[in-house]
Amino acid sequence: MALRNGDGVKIFLGLWIAAVIYCMFLVVPQYVGLGDAGRIIIVHVPVAWITSAAFLLSAIYSIIYLWKRNTISDVAAVAAAEVGMLYCLFATITGSIFAEVVWGTFWNWDPRETSILVLLLIYAAYFALRSSVDDNERRRRLAAVYNIFAAVTMPFLLFVAPRIADSTLHPNCAFLQGSKCEGVALNLGDTKISQLGDVVVELKSLTKTDTLTQATIEVRMPGMKNVATLVPSLDSEGKPADRPEFPGQQFRMVLLEADASAGTVRVNMQAPGTNLLSNPRTLWVFLASNLGFFGLAFWLYHIRRTILQVQQVLNPGEMSI
Amino acid sequence: MIDPQIWRATRAIFVREWRSELRNRQALNAVALFAICSVVTVSLGLGPLMRSTDVALVHAAFLWIVLLFAAFTALSRVFVVEEEQRTAAALRLASPPIAVYLGKLCFNLVLLLGLTVLVTILAIVLLNIRVGATDLLIGMLLAGSLALVAGTTLVAAIIARSSSRGALFAVLSLPILIPMLVTAVRGTALAFAGVSWERGMAPIQTLLAYAVAMFVASLFLFATVWE
Repeated sequence: MALRNGDGVKIFLGLWIAAVIYCMFLVVPQYVGLGDAGRIIIVHVPVAWITSAAFLLSAIYSIIYLWKRNTISDVAAVAAAEVGMLYCLFATITGSIFAEVVWGTFWNWDPRETSILVLLLIYAAYFALRSSVDDNERRRRLAAVYNIFAAVTMPFLLFVAPRIADSTLHPNCAFLQGSKCEGVALNLGDTKISQLGDVVVELKSLTKTDTLTQATIEVRMPGMKNVATLVPSLDSEGKPADRPEFPGQQFRMVLLEADASAGTVRVNMQAPGTNLLSNPRTLWVFLASNLGFFGLAFWLYHIRRTILQVQQVLNPGEMSI
Repeated sequence: MIDPQIWRATRAIFVREWRSELRNRQALNAVALFAICSVVTVSLGLGPLMRSTDVALVHAAFLWIVLLFAAFTALSRVFVVEEEQRTAAALRLASPPIAVYLGKLCFNLVLLLGLTVLVTILAIVLLNIRVGATDLLIGMLLAGSLALVAGTTLVAAIIARSSSRGALFAVLSLPILIPMLVTAVRGTALAFAGVSWERGMAPIQTLLAYAVAMFVASLFLFATVWE
């Protein structure tokens, strides 16, 4: 009976996720400025969220293990970490594909890319630690300690370090209403790629007259299809004057600071707010995707946990993961 | 209020570590030579860097890479030696876990601060680094060293109880240290570039917050590793 119920859940999950994928390509409208590549966020964002949730669950079970010293909590921590690792890989791959299509590079050491890579490294280290301790009880104890210790670094990784960086490819400042994002600093002759939101920007020239300071900035839109030159400016009092619009988008470029002698400027993107989920079809598919991938994660976790428990019962003294 | 016995035991362990180290100078010699070789190699390989906007960041990154790997060589020894010489059991009986942790942490901190002074002076001389804000650099290196020691001492205790000690220390420590390393490199670059304290305070505050978080977590978890 239980097996039949399990089969039913498996088939239901398969159909649900197939429907989400179908809707992602054929029902959700194109996101302005990102084209078809924007559809991948229907999968990428839920998978990244569930990665964090799975690792958090693993850390919670590690705390419970140290508190109660019951094997079942350790098994649950391992199963959650394994599911988190799988989803983390999936989030990294889908994110890299998206980055290649819209930004022209698979990897650019964006703070959020760095965060997810560190998550992968932490849990790879967690499994490496587990495999290098022979004694079962000591292995569980040390792995739980490391899991909790690594979880303490997460707020620094996810919230502090990205905010110290100058720019991020992820639209976490430019696209959020009321954001206090400080924009991006550009230098004349910079060899490094700079981004503003998801647009690649490069300072070409900087001229100053009595009334106006004008920066000539080359912008490459997502997908590298549209390259344009924008000339934002500051008036004699240092306030933004011209705010040119990005080609094909509703966002404007604003010049915040300019130092003509040093050849440096600070520019930002003025955005009206986030619009992606304001489309009801996109919103519903996104929610369905969250549910589907959450269900899949729970199912994988449940299966793995059961297998590990059975292993523990059959070979209690033998070293397992 | 912390029991004064804990302080006495902590001090005793700290003194014991230094006595033991000064007797054979294994860690001191190995780490000092490693640091000198690393900076000389970087200096030889890099040559005189052109003055560009990124040079401060490149210098800061090299400085912290050398410090990190020298720390990997030195900081894991405090607990590994106890297991190798089979003195860990005696130490467990003689001192409370918290005193063991604090004594070893203080030893590691003093060792790393000495190493930081050596590496920084060598790097400034050999790489011809221009330091724009010396006081900010000192603050950044102090905060960075605190964060590095707070993040690695517990990991050193963990790997001492595993079978593959040497390689595992770097594998376990590096992911945990990345947030502080990113911050320390950017902060040190700001100090080299000579920015004001107002702009340089954010990385120092982040490093200190990281050090406090890791220190508190270690205090809670160490007894479990040490049992």
